[in-house]
Amino acid sequence: RVGSWGLYFTQSTYSESIYVGQAAGTPVLQVHAMKDKASEQPYFTLYWRKLQKPSVYASWFQIDAITGVIYMNKTLDWTDFESIPNSWAVTAKKLSLKVSAVPMSRASFPNVEVSLTFFNATAPTCGQIKLERLCFPDRDINPHIKENRMPGPLHQLRRFTHANLCPNYTFSYRVESESPVPFAINDTTSELVVTAPIDREEKEVYHLMLWCSIRTEETLHTLLTPLPIIIYDEDDSPPYVNGTDTEDVLIEFSRSKSAAFGNLFVYDRDTTSAYHKEQSQNKYVWTLMTNDTWIKDTFTIQQNFSEEKPIFDNVRGTVYKYRLRLNKNISVDEKRSFLLDFLVNDTTFRGPEATVMLHFNVTILPVSISFSNITYFFVLSRKSMTYSQIGKVCVDNCVKFKGIEISYHLELGDRNTSANVQSCYTAVGVARNLEDMTGVLYVNDTEPLRRPECQELQLVLVAQEQHKQLEAKTTVMVIFEGEADPLRTEGQRSLACAEKRQRGECETFRGLGTPTGRCQWRQGTGKVISENYSTCSPDLRTCPDGYCDVIESKNISICPQDCTHEPVIGGHERGLMLGIKAGHGTCYCYSEKCFCEQDDMKATAVL
Amino acid sequence: RDELIKGQGRGCLLKEIHLNVTDLGLGYQTKEELIFRYCSGPCYDSETNYDKILNNLTQNKKLDKESPSQTCCRPVAFDDDLSFLDDSLEYHTLKKHSAKKCACV
Repeated sequence: RVGSWGLYFTQSTYSESIYVGQAAGTPVLQVHAMKDKASEQPYFTLYWRKLQKPSVYASWFQIDAITGVIYMNKTLDWTDFESIPNSWAVTAKKLSLKVSAVPMSRASFPNVEVSLTFFNATAPTCGQIKLERLCFPDRDINPHIKENRMPGPLHQLRRFTHANLCPNYTFSYRVESESPVPFAINDTTSELVVTAPIDREEKEVYHLMLWCSIRTEETLHTLLTPLPIIIYDEDDSPPYVNGTDTEDVLIEFSRSKSAAFGNLFVYDRDTTSAYHKEQSQNKYVWTLMTNDTWIKDTFTIQQNFSEEKPIFDNVRGTVYKYRLRLNKNISVDEKRSFLLDFLVNDTTFRGPEATVMLHFNVTILPVSISFSNITYFFVLSRKSMTYSQIGKVCVDNCVKFKGIEISYHLELGDRNTSANVQSCYTAVGVARNLEDMTGVLYVNDTEPLRRPECQELQLVLVAQEQHKQLEAKTTVMVIFEGEADPLRTEGQRSLACAEKRQRGECETFRGLGTPTGRCQWRQGTGKVISENYSTCSPDLRTCPDGYCDVIESKNISICPQDCTHEPVIGGHERGLMLGIKAGHGTCYCYSEKCFCEQDDMKATAVL
Repeated sequence: RDELIKGQGRGCLLKEIHLNVTDLGLGYQTKEELIFRYCSGPCYDSETNYDKILNNLTQNKKLDKESPSQTCCRPVAFDDDLSFLDDSLEYHTLKKHSAKKCACV
């Protein structure tokens, strides 16, 4: 295996303190490299990066190629501290060494950084050092080992420099755990040893308690510190299916591009990193098992994964989720059923059974464009104004449609009527709703409403599917009842209900979009900014409702409260895209410019 | 609250006052505060013949019901936007809420 070595260091960095006067030949610390297989043998060397010139302190240290113990090569004196170039540090300087686990002529090799803090002082005396510092490192260490590897020593517990300051003390270490663990101490070398290969899927972290006993002339001290050992993962588990490997998928009203159907799950006890997308560790690939080009062009598999813990006995594992996704819209007349197989492959798993076969049992039903046997029947006041909403129309199941485009238009019911009657039909228009496939009937022209012959309109509503040009028709009856209003509207400068700031003037005003011919007042409550602000509206069923619908968007004067693009003056909360979500007191608008204010504030300001 | 006068010269001046956002009367519920700057002062020294004529016509009741606007001290530039968090942890931004520069217009 070129450029790949099974040896690895059990810590990401090592650190220790060194002092002026520290003698040549004394040990500083010990690094450990764990083996992948028995034949491997670490050969430790100190090295500096190729292009970089060796540091001034390069010759101060040497490493035992077999044990990994770093020794002082010279006795440190005061001038040594001064010779380290980072000039601003007065009390301590950081020396950085690199240790390689193999003879280093290779392109890529396991290595680790050793960080030594060089204090501009002689070492403290034995009595000055706290017992904790004699036993345990200054900073927490989290050694790690890989699962399924060779047992062996992984960490040196003894603090060489500090322990050597107290030659009359004897140190001994002991590990403890709630249950039996494959870790022990080699009493001769003070090394922590892993005694058997470890399975991460069984336990990810071993929480050891480390005891240190110090026997001095008089007493025996015992100290305790936690020592977690982290187990690293490798891809040693095959994918598996829990329960069904087949999912039924029905494609009917929802047939738009990127719609997704069904859920199939594949489980893997190994972890998958979400951070390194390119990392091949445990990477899954899927393949569609079909030669049908229509299926291959129309469908794709959407793969997601997430890390889960409870379902894998509280050890992290991966759940892959597969959904069937449309690459393009499916036309309304498409009718098929087939079993779609796809193969999921855990590409980094070395053993057999690295794949699982999954199946989507797909049924595509055609959608008929039709109206059920009903005649739409609407009654409206003759006083209603232009852009009044009459009612909604919908081909069967149109609200469930996704990826099916419908348009509506109106035709004359009886073509043999007189031109006079034919001209009545300009009174009503139909518009497709912006968000779903329903249509909205509205008053398009109020002039015919005043003519007696236009009081009962019989229209044909035509719905057309845009892709295949399928058509459906039904009858719409619109009856205008009551007295027509005397014609005064043409003289009005503006027709916007939203301009009115008082209940009285609102409810007597003939604004655009009013189905009764009069604006409606909404009385808000409370003194704070509220969605239920006071306002004057043509039709409280549709305005303000926080949504600028297809009719309202035909003219800004109908409902600027829902449709304004412009900044609102006064206390308010803006709608998501357009309009006012909440307002303070009364909100009113001149054209697109809206204001929200408390009425009583206005009164005192005038006084 | 202390009110302090900024700027030089007579008449129309920029003044400032330290307020709670709730004092603005815009309905926001918050504990945040702001410095509000406003324009105040007389504008006699910037009147023109136009203003004198209007004044005379109004006094002589030649303009029967109307009373046209006179020169007044108004902001000609506004402070930067003010953003604050309200008690229900939503952000609001006030624009053109506080004067930066005043003039008789």
